[in-house]
This record gives sequence, C-alpha cells and structure tokens, in this order.
Amino acid sequence: MMKLGDARSGKLPDNITGFGRALRRAGVPVDSSRIAMAIEAAQLVGLERKEDLHSALRTVMVSRQQDLEVFDQLFEALFRNPELAQQLLAQMLPKVRQGTPPSRKARVQEALAAAKIPNEGPRKESEIQLDAAMTASDQQRLRHADFATLNASEFRLIERLVRDVPLALPPVPGRRTRAGSRGQRPHWAAAMQQARRFEGELLWLPKRTRRPQVLPLLVLVDISGSMERYARLLLAFLHNATRGRPRAAFAFGTDLTDLRPAFRHRDTDHMLDAANAAIDDFAGGTRLGASLATLRERHARTLVGRRTVVLLISDGLDTGEPEALESEVQWLKRHCRQLLWLNPLLRFDGYAPLATGAQVLHRNADGMLAVHNLSRLEDLAQAISRLMRR
Amino acid sequence: MVKAVNGFASIDALIHALQGVGYHAPRQLATSVFLAMKLQRPLLLEGEPGVGKTELAKALAKVLGRPMLRLQCYDGMEQREALYEWNHTAQLLHMRAAQDTNTADEIEREVYQPRYLIRRPLLQALQAPAPGAVLLIDEVDRADEPFEAFLLEYLGEYQVTIPELGTIKAEAAPITILTSNRTRDLNDAVKRRCLYQWMDYPERERELAIVQSQVPEAGPALTEAITQFVSRLRSMPFANAFQRSPGIAESVEWAKALVALDTLTLDPEVVQDTAGILFKQREDVAALIPLIDDLLQPEAA
Repeated sequence: MMKLGDARSGKLPDNITGFGRALRRAGVPVDSSRIAMAIEAAQLVGLERKEDLHSALRTVMVSRQQDLEVFDQLFEALFRNPELAQQLLAQMLPKVRQGTPPSRKARVQEALAAAKIPNEGPRKESEIQLDAAMTASDQQRLRHADFATLNASEFRLIERLVRDVPLALPPVPGRRTRAGSRGQRPHWAAAMQQARRFEGELLWLPKRTRRPQVLPLLVLVDISGSMERYARLLLAFLHNATRGRPRAAFAFGTDLTDLRPAFRHRDTDHMLDAANAAIDDFAGGTRLGASLATLRERHARTLVGRRTVVLLISDGLDTGEPEALESEVQWLKRHCRQLLWLNPLLRFDGYAPLATGAQVLHRNADGMLAVHNLSRLEDLAQAISRLMRR
Repeated sequence: MVKAVNGFASIDALIHALQGVGYHAPRQLATSVFLAMKLQRPLLLEGEPGVGKTELAKALAKVLGRPMLRLQCYDGMEQREALYEWNHTAQLLHMRAAQDTNTADEIEREVYQPRYLIRRPLLQALQAPAPGAVLLIDEVDRADEPFEAFLLEYLGEYQVTIPELGTIKAEAAPITILTSNRTRDLNDAVKRRCLYQWMDYPERERELAIVQSQVPEAGPALTEAITQFVSRLRSMPFANAFQRSPGIAESVEWAKALVALDTLTLDPEVVQDTAGILFKQREDVAALIPLIDDLLQPEAA
C-alpha cells in the first residue's frame, strides 16, 4: 500500500519530489522551495497515518481552493498505484498545455484575413432552457461568436481610437495619504524633520493630502443580436483602452460570460480567440436580469469595496421579468460607485426608453447616454469616453 | 491540558489541547497548525464566514498561554496603523524642552528613543518576549494590495525595517494566522510565504460537539435538531436557494436564541421567528420560509 517508502531508505525525498513535479504538470504551482518544505513536513508528521501525510503535503503544496481537488485525486492515485497516476497525468496533459495559435497571423497575411467560415453552426440549442418570452425573436440562435483576429486596417483603427479617445476616469482621493500642501491632516513626521532643522521651531505645519486612486472598472457588454456588428471591435477597443488599470469585463446575451481570462491576454488577437471560445450565446436575445443575477451569485467579488465603476453597454431590451431586472439593477447599484449606462440605439430610429428594461435602467443608472444613428465604432468609443468623463 | 513551549509533541496532543479550550479542530486543520508551528510559517486560513477561522487563533493563544495580538485589516490601511508610529507630539515637546540645554545631536538621539515609539500589532508581535505571541491578521482580503506587499517582509522573515531604528527581528517567531473570506483573491507572493488551509463547514458530529460545548444549556434533543436543520440547509438541494449558508457561528447564536426563548423542539413557527439569526439577507430569509416544512421533515433513510 505505502509506496512512498520511508525516510530511512532515502526514497521519501525522491518520491515527494516526483509528486511535486506531477502536481506541477497538472497545473498546480509548486516550486522547489515548496517541495523542500513538503519533505520536511512529511518527516515531521511521520508516515504512520496516511491522512496526516495527506493533510501535511496538502497544506504545504496547495495554496488555492481550486487546486484541492486535483491534489486529492493525484495523491490518492500515487498512493494506490503509481502507474495509474502516470496515466491520469497523461490524460490531463493536453488540457494543461493548450497550444496558443500563432499571433499576428491575420495581420501578416492580410489578404487571407477574411472571416472564418462559421463551422460551429447553431449548437447547444437543446441544452439551454429558453424563457418563453424569448421565442419572439425567430432569429434566436445560440452560437459561438465568430471573432476573427484583427486585420491590419482594423488593428490600425483600434490603435488610433485608443490614442485619440481617452477612456480615463478622473482619479478620486483615496484612503491613503501622502505629503502635500493642500491637505487637511497635519503631517507630523515632516513637522519633526522641520523642527529638527530649525532648532525645535515650527515655522509652518506640513500637511498630508489624500493620495489619488484609480477606480476599478467593470464593463458589461451586450453581445445580443442588435450589438452583433460591433461586439468584436468594441471588445478589442475596450481591451486596449482599459489596459493597465483594474478592470473586469463580462459579456452578456442570454447568459453572462466571464471575459476576465480572455482580457488577461496582452495580445488583442489572443483575447479575441479566448472570447470566441468562451462566448456561447452570441447574437441571441438579451436576458439582462438573468445575466445580472449570475454576476451577483458568482462574481460578486469583482465589485471592489463600492469603488467599482460599472459601465453597461446595452440597448436595454430585456426579455425577462421587469421586477427581477429591477431588483438586480438595484443590487448592482448598491454595490458599485457609479452605474453608467451607454445606450446604443440600434434597433429603432425613433426610439424612446419605453421598453420596460430600458425604463428600469433609466430610473437607476447614475449616468446615461444614448447614441443615435450609430454607424461607426468611433462614435461608440467617443460616447463611452464622454460618459466616463462625467 | 498540555502546555508546550515549542509547540506540541504530536498532532493528537494539539487536537486534545484545543478541545480542552472548546475548539473542536478536524484532524486536517490540526495538521496544518502543527506544521505551521514546527516549520515556523504563517498559516493562511480561507473559508466562508463563520467557520471558526478567527476562533482558531483565539483558542491557540489560550492553549499556548501566549498573548494574542489582532490586526483587523481594512481598506486603505497604512503602515502606521499596522506596524508603528512615532509619538510626534511628545517628540516635539521634548525637543522644545531640551533645545536650550542639549546639542542638536543629543536631541536627535533622544527624540528617536523607543519610548516615543507607538507600537502597533505587527511590531508588538515581533517584540513579544519568548515564547512569542500569536498574531492574528484578520480578514486580510479586506486590505488593499499595497498593504499585502507591505506584509511580505514580515511574513517571509519575521522582521520589519524601521528607518530610524534599523531592522527589528523577532526573538521568537510569532505564530501567525491570516484569515480571508475570499472577497478577493490574494496575491501569490503572500500565498507563497504561507501554509494554506481551506476551512469548510463542519460535518454534523463536529458541529454537534461545538454547539454542545458552547451552549450546554440547550438539551441534547434541541442541539441535535439544530445541527440537523443547519446541516440540511447547507446541503443540496436546499443550499441552492440561498446566497450564503449559515456558518458555525450562526448555529451557536441560534442555539443561544432558542434557549433564551425556552424552546424545546423546532417547529415551523419558531424557525420563522428566528430566521434572522441564520440569514442576514432579506432574500435568504424569504427563500427559507417556504422550505421550512421540508427541512423539518425527518430525513429519509
């Protein structure tokens, strides 16, 4: 049963090192100092009880809740049967080492950069229960977004927009302080320095001022049918324009998609690829209420200490229950600093916020801006910038 | 009760000692604590609110007979609230008083004496005389990232640097426990310096033992009913209905409340009246009410 060997034979360090490497291959970050500590820990708890060794190695080698399951399975497998563990690892490997598609391909071979042939087609339709109200839209299709990587002219457009359209929220005074002449609170440490220079005299009282703070941004982008044309370039623009600041991005249509993993890629093409894979309700209907409920249940911690500014880009046509939407929007409003709503009026020309969803947003948003006759991405970018400057 | 200066001889001894002060630790958790003491590493406890993270630090301090220092984290916390601050007003007074008699060099030396230093929890922990203290850095996820970065020197080396006094190193490594409710993910650099333990809701027997020892006035039948009710709340399919399941702290509070109301058995009315103790969200209380009858039904075998 006990395959790890004992300390006297000297096999224990080897086995734990091997186990550490196996964990690493399975995607659990374990560095060599951790492995050394694990060996020490194993010697401290002894090998008499398997569960003690298990908890000892676990407390040293795992530091995230999501890794606990992998650890347990691998530990169990290695104890029972090392060969089985190897097989298990072999199965896991392809998942861990996902090849990243070569970047810049589209830009290099611009001539070939036409949109990919949509080979996915409508899928997952049967798996997803649709609201009865939603069936009104007969072009309702649940499909993967078909985001091609940027071609050269698009790349230049995005670069130019990022340069020309500033997307910066004004910084607000934070909770931390620094020396500054216009502050409210006395800066005693600086007063001491001054008194030392002038033989104990205080000529003026130095002040502390509040350090400016960048507000985190949460962007919720509608990728339902009406936004279809813009979704790809809009995401590319947001990805570039909010670089280097705390941000989180989610896409929603019939359900919410977490785009944070996609936005972590530095390269916009990689981001689009990852978004492609993540979104499976592209160009469908809009269930804003349900999407916000998902945000509340699963991702509430993206809203940081009531500082987050939420930018909602949607036309507010919601096919769910208006009461449910109202309570979700109010929850969101309670948990963020500002709820900004950008309404690209895409569906109708003579549009007034008569749709119930739009009314709910109209009542609750801290800032709202509607764009008429949206024909270019630039208008949208300008509008986002105007809204955020308010 | 076993009192040990340098930790405990075995995991069993630790479990036993903790039980002696009313903390029922599962063996897994005890192993982590045992190793944290032996390896002199900080221990990071993550888990839902109310599963006994803070209580563990308190129990540990009691068992070891060491002082417990608590640093409650909050957003925008600064070094002068966590580590030290000079008593500037006293320094200025001293300077004025001494300026006629002493030279500038003397004044400078006198003004930066340790007696003008206001010690905050981190420094107190480092300067605690042997065998050292138990330092609880509570809800570290509430502090912001700059504060986490500031903690690194302490967590890695058990030392801090004060420009005027130099580096202060702990005589005896304080037992350091960090807790996090996971309102955000902690930086990897912090995690790398700590041992990690995820704390889950307790299994029913352990919760029964905890409620019994915390609220002995509740009879065995009531305690049994409470733990059964709460553990069913946390399990499927009921758990899906709530945003946050009640923790051990809530079960204990509930038991106390039911004792105060002279309740002998759980009935739907009493559960509904006291639902505010188990759930702190209006939506959750509303979700509980239609489920009460199902939850109170005897369990299918």
